[in-house]
Amino acid sequence: MEEQACPRCKTTKYRNPSLKLMVNVCGHTLCESCVDLLFLKGSGACPECQIPLRRTNFRVQMFEDAMVEKEVDIRKRILRDFNKKEEDFDTLREYNDYIEDIETIIYNLANNIDVMETNRKIEQYKKDNREQIMKNKSKLGRKEYELEELLELERQQDEERKQELIRQELENKKKKIREKEALIDELMFSEGNAKNIVETFASAIQASREEEKYTPVTKATQFSTGIKFGKQTNQGFLPIPKAEEGPSYSYTPIRQQIEGPSPPGWRELQTRGYVSHVRAETQSDRAGGFRANIACLRALQEAMASLYHNPSQRSLEPMSI
Amino acid sequence: MAEKLRRYEKIDFLGEGQFATVYKAKDTETDKIVAVKKIKVGSRAEARDGINRTALREIKLLQELKHENIIGLLDVFGHKSNVSLVFDFMDTDLEVIIKDNNIVLTPANIKAYMVQTLQGLDYLHFNWILHRDLKPNNLLVNEEGVLKIGDFGLAKFFGSPNRINTHHVVTRWYRAPELLYGARLYGTGIDMWAVGCILAELLLRVPFLPGESDLDQLTRIFQTLGTPTEETWPGMTDLTDFIQFKPFPGTPLKHIFTAAGDDLLDLIASLLNINPLQRCTCDQALQMPYFSNKPAPTPGPRLPLPTTVKRQPEEKPSLKRKLLESMDGASLAKRLQF
Repeated sequence: MEEQACPRCKTTKYRNPSLKLMVNVCGHTLCESCVDLLFLKGSGACPECQIPLRRTNFRVQMFEDAMVEKEVDIRKRILRDFNKKEEDFDTLREYNDYIEDIETIIYNLANNIDVMETNRKIEQYKKDNREQIMKNKSKLGRKEYELEELLELERQQDEERKQELIRQELENKKKKIREKEALIDELMFSEGNAKNIVETFASAIQASREEEKYTPVTKATQFSTGIKFGKQTNQGFLPIPKAEEGPSYSYTPIRQQIEGPSPPGWRELQTRGYVSHVRAETQSDRAGGFRANIACLRALQEAMASLYHNPSQRSLEPMSI
Repeated sequence: MAEKLRRYEKIDFLGEGQFATVYKAKDTETDKIVAVKKIKVGSRAEARDGINRTALREIKLLQELKHENIIGLLDVFGHKSNVSLVFDFMDTDLEVIIKDNNIVLTPANIKAYMVQTLQGLDYLHFNWILHRDLKPNNLLVNEEGVLKIGDFGLAKFFGSPNRINTHHVVTRWYRAPELLYGARLYGTGIDMWAVGCILAELLLRVPFLPGESDLDQLTRIFQTLGTPTEETWPGMTDLTDFIQFKPFPGTPLKHIFTAAGDDLLDLIASLLNINPLQRCTCDQALQMPYFSNKPAPTPGPRLPLPTTVKRQPEEKPSLKRKLLESMDGASLAKRLQF
């Protein structure tokens, strides 16, 4: 294997084990420290082909051959726009031609053949198919989103099953303890033969265990394939709960239990002149929402509420507090 | 008193406030789940004054109140210098429900919450009590969908003209303009305003007027409802903390609550009237067409609940053995093996 080396500073992997080779769109490599040095301002020219590069576009080189790296990069960029699917074409032949075209473009760009011509072709294609490109892009986005959702759902179910298992285990443990306790209690207090008791208990436990075995081990079938595809349809909106008609509301005024005559109401305060015996409200009292009426009515109610109060007649309600 | 302490078996820690810690507990006599609010013993200076003021208010008022939509005070007991209040256990509150994105509140749901709130408040006002701290957080809901007004720490009798009240009541977002202007004598209007804000919050699912300061609160109120004038709110210039604001035209409610019908908009306008004397009272509100119109309020058990609140059967570990042990002084041989 050839030693990896930075073409600029000639550092090798051997001399600097932490050497990291970076690559940009042109496909020429540089080591990390050279990138830091040359692209201090954020952009500059590639030292080999003088193409203007941006620092943010540098990536860690993944393939040893820088050409592969470059091609991957170009392919990614091209496929972003050439995103038609098989179903967008009438015949398989057309689709194959289309794929062939893409490959030619990528090959040309990667090997610097007719770059100008190819770029023009790409621009032309973009202009002609702008609408469809946009549409396919959004479709792709949605697909990814749905996939993510499925994964999330699966994770959730997994979690739930785990919880359920833990719970069951705990339950079983508790049950065992309870059974033991019951047996001991029985042995302590019952008059019967100890051996008989033990036997009946043992058989009961055996029976219940067998029963348990037949109970299905949680619904694991739903997991791998049982993904609810229909779930995405009403996404983003919560279902509106069904309106269920209850009885209509009608107001019933509060009644106070008063022994004796009921105190006057709001209207009588004015007409019978009660209110003139209370300090009149000031302008600022009124602005605060307070009226002499309030004080007057309360005073009257309080005075009259206990007038006929006779504790001996009433069945004493014991106030518990 | 000591046996009362033993009567309630602590199940869970529910929360901690400024004045109290709340526990979920079981009443061993009735097997009912209750909430025990243990009042914190304050600083030494406070302790000398005796029991905490908010607790005293709650005890004093709630002892005499009994209504479906008012939190029930079941018991009070003391232990050493502590005082604990025992309340109905409530599973959640309106704040949780409003904030829960997984809950859809239908018009019928909102109507049900409003009916219950106003009925409870009507009962309070009828008995000359102002709640003075109405907010979604204090409207408690249990799993049967019954809403109860809770936290009477700021509640007070009203109607006496000689009693000066403080205007530093009600959480700011739900505080009525007359309180912000420093009114010392006020009526039921302050609670009605808060109800209006809560109704708006139920519809919008975000706080309606989230002011960042008292001044900002007034600005927000006037920006949405229009700056009042001496005609629309007579006497406002006489209030102690009055400040003249620049006139805002206000936004029509129809543009804020786009999904609300006319009957609902009438109710909101009436609850959020700038002039407290023109604000409707509880009984007036409940007689407005909105409440008798369709859709009918959702029956309690069908009201939505947050997913965290679920009916879960209590797990009962076998107590038999424990009982036996305590009976016989734990002298039983434990190693019985077969």
